[in-house]
Amino acid sequence: MGANISQLERDIGSEQFPCNEHYFGLVNFGNTCYSNSVLQALYFCKPFRERVLEYKAKNKRTKETLLTCLADLFHSIATQKKKVGSIAPKKFIARLRKEKEEFDNYMQQDAHEFLNFLINHISEIILGMYELVISSERQQNSTTNNIKSKGAGENGTAHNSPEPTWVHEIFQGILTSETRCLNCENVSSKDEDFFDLQVDIEQNTSITHCLRCFSNTETLCSDNKFKCDNCMSYQEAQKRMRVKKLPMILALHLKRFKYMEQYNRHIKVSHRVVFPLELRLFNTVGIFFVLLYDLVAVVIHCGSGPNRGHYISIVKSHGFWLLFDDDQVDKIDASTIEDFYGLTADTQKSSETGYILFYQSRESL
Amino acid sequence: MANLKPGSQNARKKVQVSMVLCEAEERKHRSGVNALQLDPVLDRLYSAGRDSIIRVHEHERFLQSMEHHTDWVNDIVLCCGGRHLISASSDTTVKVWNAHKGFCMSTLRTHKDYVKALAYAKDREQVASAGLDKSIYLWDINTLTALTASNNTVTTSSLIGCKESIYSLAMNPSGSVIVSGSTEKALRLWDPRTCAKLFKLKGHSDNVKALVVSRDGTQCLSGSSDGSIKHWNLGTQRIIQTIRLHTDSVWALLATESFTYVISGGRDKKVIMTDLKNTSNYVIVCVEEAPVLKMCFTADQQAVWVSTFDSSIRCWKLPTDKHFKEELKMPTQPISLIPGGAAIRQAAVLNDKRHILTTDTHGHVALYDVLRARKIEDLGQVNFQEELKNRFKMVYVSNWFNVDLKTGMLTIHLGQDEVDCFSAWVSARDAGIRDTPEPDHKVNYGKLLLQALFEHWRGVETDPENRLYFSVPKHIPLILSEVGGRTLYRVLVGDTAGDTENALLNDTVPNWVISNIEDNCTNKFIKVQFYLQPHSSVPSHLLKQDRMKKPDRLVANDFIQCRKVAEHILEKLLGDGTANSPGCGDAESNTPSNNGYTVDQIELTCNDQVLDPSMDLRTIKHFIWKSSSDLTLYYKIINK
Repeated sequence: MGANISQLERDIGSEQFPCNEHYFGLVNFGNTCYSNSVLQALYFCKPFRERVLEYKAKNKRTKETLLTCLADLFHSIATQKKKVGSIAPKKFIARLRKEKEEFDNYMQQDAHEFLNFLINHISEIILGMYELVISSERQQNSTTNNIKSKGAGENGTAHNSPEPTWVHEIFQGILTSETRCLNCENVSSKDEDFFDLQVDIEQNTSITHCLRCFSNTETLCSDNKFKCDNCMSYQEAQKRMRVKKLPMILALHLKRFKYMEQYNRHIKVSHRVVFPLELRLFNTVGIFFVLLYDLVAVVIHCGSGPNRGHYISIVKSHGFWLLFDDDQVDKIDASTIEDFYGLTADTQKSSETGYILFYQSRESL
Repeated sequence: MANLKPGSQNARKKVQVSMVLCEAEERKHRSGVNALQLDPVLDRLYSAGRDSIIRVHEHERFLQSMEHHTDWVNDIVLCCGGRHLISASSDTTVKVWNAHKGFCMSTLRTHKDYVKALAYAKDREQVASAGLDKSIYLWDINTLTALTASNNTVTTSSLIGCKESIYSLAMNPSGSVIVSGSTEKALRLWDPRTCAKLFKLKGHSDNVKALVVSRDGTQCLSGSSDGSIKHWNLGTQRIIQTIRLHTDSVWALLATESFTYVISGGRDKKVIMTDLKNTSNYVIVCVEEAPVLKMCFTADQQAVWVSTFDSSIRCWKLPTDKHFKEELKMPTQPISLIPGGAAIRQAAVLNDKRHILTTDTHGHVALYDVLRARKIEDLGQVNFQEELKNRFKMVYVSNWFNVDLKTGMLTIHLGQDEVDCFSAWVSARDAGIRDTPEPDHKVNYGKLLLQALFEHWRGVETDPENRLYFSVPKHIPLILSEVGGRTLYRVLVGDTAGDTENALLNDTVPNWVISNIEDNCTNKFIKVQFYLQPHSSVPSHLLKQDRMKKPDRLVANDFIQCRKVAEHILEKLLGDGTANSPGCGDAESNTPSNNGYTVDQIELTCNDQVLDPSMDLRTIKHFIWKSSSDLTLYYKIINK
């Protein structure tokens, strides 16, 4: 072993190298860095990795799905003999291209769209399996059929029931939108599930500030009045979004690609938005309490537009930070993270900026 | 500059045609009453509200209604010693009325959004209007009342500075100060004589919905959605005191002449009278049945009229010293009542797309006929959902109008948004028309209604193709307005023949109406695409070549009935004839049956359901096929 010890192993030091941990880069199959960066971030979201590996252990012989491909990939990283190296996620990419037409090419894709697709797709696969189990149970015993198989998003009342899948357990939060008619002042509220929060960003701010703005009151007025069921007419109204339930892993998607009408395309917004290693969040509905979140992974976009440039990711593992750039893995200093906050000036087009942030609730650590 | 004309036709915004299904005389308020004014000389009460109508009462007796607004009336002001009334509405206009005779003299169209509040300076005969467009306009009433059809431009001063929607406004009688309340949560002050902005008063934590200024303009009271009433010294720009007696938003305020007592009402349904010298000294005047919207003193100032979200207006005795000292208890019943009517709360358009079932705030269910623009059945207090279920018919007709209940009455809009007014074709028989040129004659609902609405405007119809089958009552208001926007013109159907009205209509009736009521729009029949496939039981020797391999793809008018389809099958698919004409609807001929079969022996099915020969294609597609993909019908021969 000693002779061809890698730079990464040297940087970490054999004493410090965590046992049972593997740092493997992912080979790029032609613009697949959008997938590689997200997969690395997800691999280092511990609860997610554990559930995927558990799935692998429990489902040995199932039909190939995107989830089995993901499970195989995670399993193969986790069971490598070597500590470091690179792996080709060939089967996963092939399956992905089969599953969704949009990804069936060699073009750069939006990492957030990929994450969104992946999370939703996996939860659907698991739900599909539950339904199979339930229907076979029903055949055996037709009297017990009070198992909830439908997603919680179906209606508001289902929210108190346990989460439908482990994907929901990990990523799903609930947003409440409250609308108050300014005429009769009745408040109507609606719950919405989310797997990630899409946050508008402002120059020289922090993610805390942007999240606060997320809950700012918006007035529906002028041509955009609210149709009040009580007043039976269009009236002005105040609307605000609040996070009702925070998830175990909070994925924050910074809206860095803005559609600009004058250019007829999406332009990257490189605004400097500070994201702290530790995030304090308030549960804003019901009992008031503070939740602590730790930054565990960041998907970084490098370049000037959504369909160009490069994606890399940085992850936290056993107290130190690593940078994954396709098949390359490097240890980085925590202070380097500041480089990915964004640019204070708008002159430069290209930038390396945090795009998707993964925060993990300290309670689950 | 205010343009008093019905508004020149805006090239960009589409114009819609609407009608309100009201009674010939609407004596009772249909919904919430937003505004009250008393004429102390004649002792008449003016009330106006969400049904768009202003009503005049002498004590409890209804005198007359003043109808010209097309949306909620939000505020009214009586001026010139009771001769004129000014009204502000969500139709974005301010109207000037002859109060005694009850007619609308002119319409001011300067505001660009709902006009929410008015303020009156009696000594100067000035009225200010404000609303959701953040603007305040000052009007000289003597100029407004002198306006004529030819001299119809008026100048107004505007008070600038408000950054958000204005919900309340107040001015003192001498017109030396004007105060506005808005969602900015602050009060803003101006000097109406110079239009100079004075200052801003901060303190409330929510919208300011009610304001009163003292006679001398030195004090002000504000009621807010934060639940408090604030008493301000306008000289020092400070809060004198904050009164927190209501458990919810304060929406209405009144102050006694000397500014010694304040009477407040709000969302908590309570009316409270408070001593301003000692605010712990207060009496609950009444607890209403619905949130309080407005109050006004009686002529002797011993009682208040109270209006609420409910349509009834009640008069309550005000407390005296003995009540304040708790020597006497407040009466629990009002001393006077003007009963309100019911507002329609729910409306369901039946499948025939002609009848509407409604239920109102009193729980009464009624049936309306849109084509005749009238109520045709009063069902009383029955279960609405049950009644709706009983009246279900498996017929499909396209939507051709929109329904709106904002006034508590049915308003039918034609030409709104994406709804094609001319999409509903039905056979004359189904429309209940007997003497038609041919039994299968198709009529268009949208066209029929437009013809009826504009009957008097267009004069006598000579063309038999365009003869009138329906007429609407003459009292029905006809409204032309920009889609999602401002009213251009409102006129009663019976008045459209008048010279002025006729000319104004010539300017406002949109082209899409004119071209369609005059043309015979038969080329606009809606087509449906469908496939015909033989059932496996159909002997292959009966079928033309290749029939078994490939289904026949056809296009036909969507109102074609199964019988016609069967005729086509008999004629074109089973015989030796060539199936070159897919328009089976045009097949009028009664050719002798092929192979000895008759039309009655052709059975059509869709999704394994046997179809009635009188069922049309759109009904099959909507209720049986239930998919947007092309309809597929199977046919077989049954022995009869």
